[in-house]
Amino acid sequence: MDNLIFHIDVNSAFLSWEAVYRLHIRGEKTDLRDIPSAVGGDIKKRHGIILARSTPAKKYGVRTGDTINDALKLCPNLVLVDPHYDLYESCSEAFMEILREFSPCVEPYSVDEAFCDMTGTVGLYGSAVVAATFMKDKIYNELGFTVNVGISTNKILAKMASDLKKPNLVHTLFPDEIEKMWRLPVGDLFFVGPATRRKLHALGIHTIGELANTDLDILRSHFKKHGEVIYSFANGIDVSVVEEEAPPNKGYGNSTTIPFDVDDGSTAKMVLLSLAEKVCTRLRTDAAMATVVAVSIVDTYFRHASHQMQLFSPSNITNEIYRAASRLFDELWDGSPIRQLGVHTSKIIRGDSSKQINIFDMNRYEKLSKLDVAVDTIRERYGEDSVKRAIFLDGPIYHMSGGISPEKRKAKYREGIGNL
Amino acid sequence: MLHMPVDVIATFNVQGKIKPNFIRLEDEYHVLQTYKIENIIFSREEKYAGIPVILFCCSIMRDGCMQVIQIKYHVRTHQWVLVSD
Repeated sequence: MDNLIFHIDVNSAFLSWEAVYRLHIRGEKTDLRDIPSAVGGDIKKRHGIILARSTPAKKYGVRTGDTINDALKLCPNLVLVDPHYDLYESCSEAFMEILREFSPCVEPYSVDEAFCDMTGTVGLYGSAVVAATFMKDKIYNELGFTVNVGISTNKILAKMASDLKKPNLVHTLFPDEIEKMWRLPVGDLFFVGPATRRKLHALGIHTIGELANTDLDILRSHFKKHGEVIYSFANGIDVSVVEEEAPPNKGYGNSTTIPFDVDDGSTAKMVLLSLAEKVCTRLRTDAAMATVVAVSIVDTYFRHASHQMQLFSPSNITNEIYRAASRLFDELWDGSPIRQLGVHTSKIIRGDSSKQINIFDMNRYEKLSKLDVAVDTIRERYGEDSVKRAIFLDGPIYHMSGGISPEKRKAKYREGIGNL
Repeated sequence: MLHMPVDVIATFNVQGKIKPNFIRLEDEYHVLQTYKIENIIFSREEKYAGIPVILFCCSIMRDGCMQVIQIKYHVRTHQWVLVSD
């Protein structure tokens, strides 16, 4: 029996979810999906990009990832709404829950898309298209937003199928229909980003079909291993299976764009401390320790730089990671004004591994780890802001930077029902 | 008009069934008035945007006139909301 894989993708997820929320929970009368609208960050905090846009906004040429200023130039009457991450989590959860009613094997691929292994469900729901249509309509009726479903025998083709035409449609892309995909520009292929696309164009490869019929050795010599990946994807070959459980994190990192340019080392180090706090809290929650610490800097001219080092022994202690990050920062920073900072950790060790104690540590390790456990427990019970380092009091920097900041979780409405 | 939070008196029976009994609304002069919920026409569970609510379509007697209103109970936040039409 052939495998049957569905890829389910929410149409302009963040925007649809906000639209449904406004219609059904707040009782607003206009549907954001019917007018040119977009979810965007905060320009003042320099988080000013479009995160999702409605179909009418798409007609004006507004794209996800555009800056808000560019988007407003393209479409002056664009309605901008704030991000609302708590809502996205709730919508995503309800979405995955419905998928799990259909199949025990669901792989959440991101917040708004999932793979679903529907092999052997013909007896339950009928043919694949019938099942997919039922699934799509059930999600719309119960949760109020539309999805695209792609059907095929493996994950790559299912994913490409759900991308074919939007919104609210079911597409099949079985291996014998691969011509449907071969007509598309090569940049539409999964795993072909702007850089790979440019290189492929330079080789005279413009469509996915041309890529599929290119000699593999040519691709290997230009793209190394990645060439084999895109070659097999272009030919609809993908051996990966739908995995219910997410593989454990290979690294933990957070970065933040600072609302102002940082040109002094001490402020930058405060940001690094707040990032280290966040990263280490996540490491400790997963009972993981990191061996490698990396720091990345983006300056005001959008130049990227990063630097990494190996720790003496794996750690998840905020102070230790912070100390390493500071050292890396001192070695890396050339003094130009900083826009974005990041702290990333890798070479993760899980579970109770014995810690190599440093003789010059003066027993600080034990004290610090106890302190971290105490702080984590307090934060878990009373909220993230219940305890923070004094250095962050009344300062311009939030004490746990990176990830989704609290103001992006809740939307601010002037009247009516606002929170979930 | 948006959906507005309202005060409600409700009973919860041993089966977990919820029945709104009284609702307090503002009249034209911004005075709070309590109305008895005479009859629940239907109720239904909704989960739009992943937010569980129970919708009650019920009738109240207002100025000698029977009026149909819809109220929603937010299961997570325990708020009652008057649905605007």
